[in-house]
Amino acid sequence: MTAVLQILFDALAVGSIYALGALGIALIFGVMRLVNFAHGDYIAFCVFAMLVPSTDVVAIVLIGKLPAILLIPIILLIGAVISVLSEMLVFRHLRNANPATMMICSFALGFVIQHVLLMFYSSRPKAINLWSNLSLPVEIFGARIPLLQLLTIIITFVILVALMWFLKRTRYGLEMRAAAEDFTMARMLGVRANRVIMTAFAVSGLLAASIGLILATQTGVADIRMGMPIMLVAFVATVIGGLGSLPGAVICGLLIGAASVLLQVFLPLDARPFRDAFLYSAVILCLLWRPDGIFAPRSAKQRV
Amino acid sequence: MKQPQSVLAKTISTPVILIALLVVIAILTALFGSGSFARTVTEIFIRVAFVVGLYIFIGNSGVISFGHAGFMCIGAYAAAWFTVPPMMKKVLLPGLPEIVSNAQLPFLGSLVLSSFLAALVALLVGLIMMRLAGIAASIATFAFLAVINTVYANWESVTAATSSVVGIPMVTGVWTSLFGASAAILIAYFYSISRWGLALRAARDEDIAASASGVDIYRQRLISFVISAFVCGMSGVLYAHYLGVVNPDAFYLGITFISLSMFVVGGMSSLSGAVLGVVIISAIIQILRWFEKGIDIGGLTLELPNGIQEIAIGVVMIVILVFRPAGLLGKREVLLKGWPFKRRTAD
Amino acid sequence: MSLLSVRDISVHYGQLAALRGVSISMDEGETLFVTGPNGAGKSTLLKAIAGAVRPSSGSISLADKVISGQPPEQTARLGFSMVPEGRHVFGSLTIEENLRLGTGIRADKDRIEGDLETVYEVFPMLAERKDGQAGVLSGGQQQMLVIGRALMAGPKLIAIDEPSLGLAPKVIDQVYDTLLKLRDSRGLTLLIVEQSSTRAMLTGGRMVLLRGGKIVLEGDARELANDESLRRAYFGFGEH
Ligand SMILES: Nc1ncnc2c1ncn2[C@@H]1O[C@H](COP(=O)(O)OP(=O)(O)OP(=O)(O)O)[C@@H](O)[C@H]1O
Ligand SMILES: [Mg+2]
Repeated sequence: MTAVLQILFDALAVGSIYALGALGIALIFGVMRLVNFAHGDYIAFCVFAMLVPSTDVVAIVLIGKLPAILLIPIILLIGAVISVLSEMLVFRHLRNANPATMMICSFALGFVIQHVLLMFYSSRPKAINLWSNLSLPVEIFGARIPLLQLLTIIITFVILVALMWFLKRTRYGLEMRAAAEDFTMARMLGVRANRVIMTAFAVSGLLAASIGLILATQTGVADIRMGMPIMLVAFVATVIGGLGSLPGAVICGLLIGAASVLLQVFLPLDARPFRDAFLYSAVILCLLWRPDGIFAPRSAKQRV
Repeated sequence: MKQPQSVLAKTISTPVILIALLVVIAILTALFGSGSFARTVTEIFIRVAFVVGLYIFIGNSGVISFGHAGFMCIGAYAAAWFTVPPMMKKVLLPGLPEIVSNAQLPFLGSLVLSSFLAALVALLVGLIMMRLAGIAASIATFAFLAVINTVYANWESVTAATSSVVGIPMVTGVWTSLFGASAAILIAYFYSISRWGLALRAARDEDIAASASGVDIYRQRLISFVISAFVCGMSGVLYAHYLGVVNPDAFYLGITFISLSMFVVGGMSSLSGAVLGVVIISAIIQILRWFEKGIDIGGLTLELPNGIQEIAIGVVMIVILVFRPAGLLGKREVLLKGWPFKRRTAD
Repeated sequence: MSLLSVRDISVHYGQLAALRGVSISMDEGETLFVTGPNGAGKSTLLKAIAGAVRPSSGSISLADKVISGQPPEQTARLGFSMVPEGRHVFGSLTIEENLRLGTGIRADKDRIEGDLETVYEVFPMLAERKDGQAGVLSGGQQQMLVIGRALMAGPKLIAIDEPSLGLAPKVIDQVYDTLLKLRDSRGLTLLIVEQSSTRAMLTGGRMVLLRGGKIVLEGDARELANDESLRRAYFGFGEH
């Protein structure tokens, strides 16, 4: 029983991070058909923003020393700002370009962010110590769960609920959902294109920043490439969730996280190193089963 | 439909010009280049072969593939399996089947056989994956790459996992890689003017019309996937014989994205774009590298800080795509008639 | 000054000229039918006014403001509401969300609820399923929804691309009744694309005939509809 609970929490915690990532990707994809490969680099950027530029192994924490109540909003803001800035500086000028072009630009942008970080911080991963007491375990029904894992799940849940509320109950949310589905028609009904896109980028940046905070606390390492794997899984989750479907993205993010934890536990020892091969084979099967995604909205037209 | 004959006559200058360009670069390198410059040029030619391989599939089908570095990986490791001295193989890669571990093929044999292996794998996975279209197909190719990488990075007894396989004869130089790149260009050219290539491009541009006119898109995609995998596999073999060692991470995301970027910057639907994209971006990178080392201009030493090169190349690519969203060449090809550029309609 | 004035616009899709020097002008409360064979450029004309395609020359103004070259959301704010060809229902939104989407730009917020009532009265089935997903509606029901949605934006000028498409004759009558009522009570201006001239004959107003991207005939709807010259111009017999 406790073992099952342990696995469940592991699965939820890993899945939560993927879900947050997938949501960030899906939001942007929805409003401008852009697969934003720079998303992973926003995550790393937010983590490094807490540190003093240096090439040392142990990070010198700058704003990371602030109390959480200040630190968290500042990091979230940094995430939103870099995301919105990249819209204004790069993606705005590509509104009518084809998806491949936009995708490559986003990759190039990510590449630039990575190497800017590299220049200031060197490529060595750095130890970073945020809220170390969060790694202490708490006991739930006999299972010992790190407090952070529990927090991750709760935070994800809160973010999801808040975002759902935002999307379902506010005017902005309504406009964003409409724009995600049929951008031109939404504009013809008076929806302001720039405002919607900037909001989407801002929210997506907030999500990236929260992932950054969670990851940095969880792993205790700041690494320039830390966002990349998450971004890739999130991208996959977005597609098999059904492009344009935000709930689909979240559910598939959770599913992939859960699948990877379950495979890790239940695969025979010999096969365990090949976990990702099984995982991605499952992804291919899933695509064959439902090419438009599991939760594709009915009217979704494939434009890529 | 037009006769292939007339298409050939009208467009043959394209591969000729492209190959001539590479030959000129090779000759200049042989005459004036240093050893390290020759290595750079070799790498560029191998990259040309790879990106031309990408063109065969992506350019003609319109489906972005993230998976072709996987074929490069397959080709490169196969080259290692076929050419590393048997003594070393028995120690390093004990899991290889007897017949392979006893073999030691000459370069050309390994080139052909390894490229065929990549094509064979493409046929098998393509049978499954080419049913997909659009972004679903793209994700499937990415998943394929992830599977290949996981397998090659962990299959200790056959691939030595993450440790490098050493002992591959280092026979790829400027001329060998020139040969590879030229072969790739010719294969791509003849494929794209063949009935298969025409049918696939028709399907790319007009999905419904093409399937109504009897084009079997699945089959056409599969054919192009296999041919492009052959070429990408070949580039992998060249790469293995250039470096002398192979390592799974050399064939993962880094090379995938950089090559795709060069391809898109050049122009996704054009063979010339594929070649020129690589040449131009590589040239800019090389120039920036020189600047990083410091360059004398009239007694003044200009030296850029380290790391600027990558940042600058990223910015350059973004700027090019903002101003030319379809890439430098778009759908055009370099052609002798109507010099310098003439629109080649793809019908 | 007229409410809408389209001056000598041309629209190109690549090399193809879809409109070649078209001018129309509409006063407030007027009804204008645009008719013509397939591919004449009718939908393109509406899209150009909406700002969804950019004219290569000429200019368009609405309520004395130049709107050509402006983004669609700007044109919508000046009181232009459009039912485009191909419906464009937001399938993942509910019916009521679809209807409310365009109300964000209205100045007369106090009228929104009343208008919603009106739409629900005209199309009772929308009211029945107002919280259901719009994506599952039938073709004709979607047509009702998009017409309702365009009205909910409280426009001065409504442009409808083939309102009769897919609707039962009785429902078409209702749609026209509602439009005419709004025209008479609020001075709503109607710009309607129809393939057939029967509707124009019943309703009255002005009519232009587009063919090959040009206006080839223009006049009173009833007179033209009865006239042999319409049929001739429609099929192009009258040209030299
Ligand atoms: N997006 C587009 N790209 C290229 N050509 C287009 C596009 N939209 C319309 N056209 C062309 O422009 C011309 C006018 O089209 P339009 O849709 O305005 O005609 P229409 O009068 O509305 O026809 P119908 O009665 O069939 O709806 C046609 O020849 C059409 O093929
Ligand atoms: Mg039309």
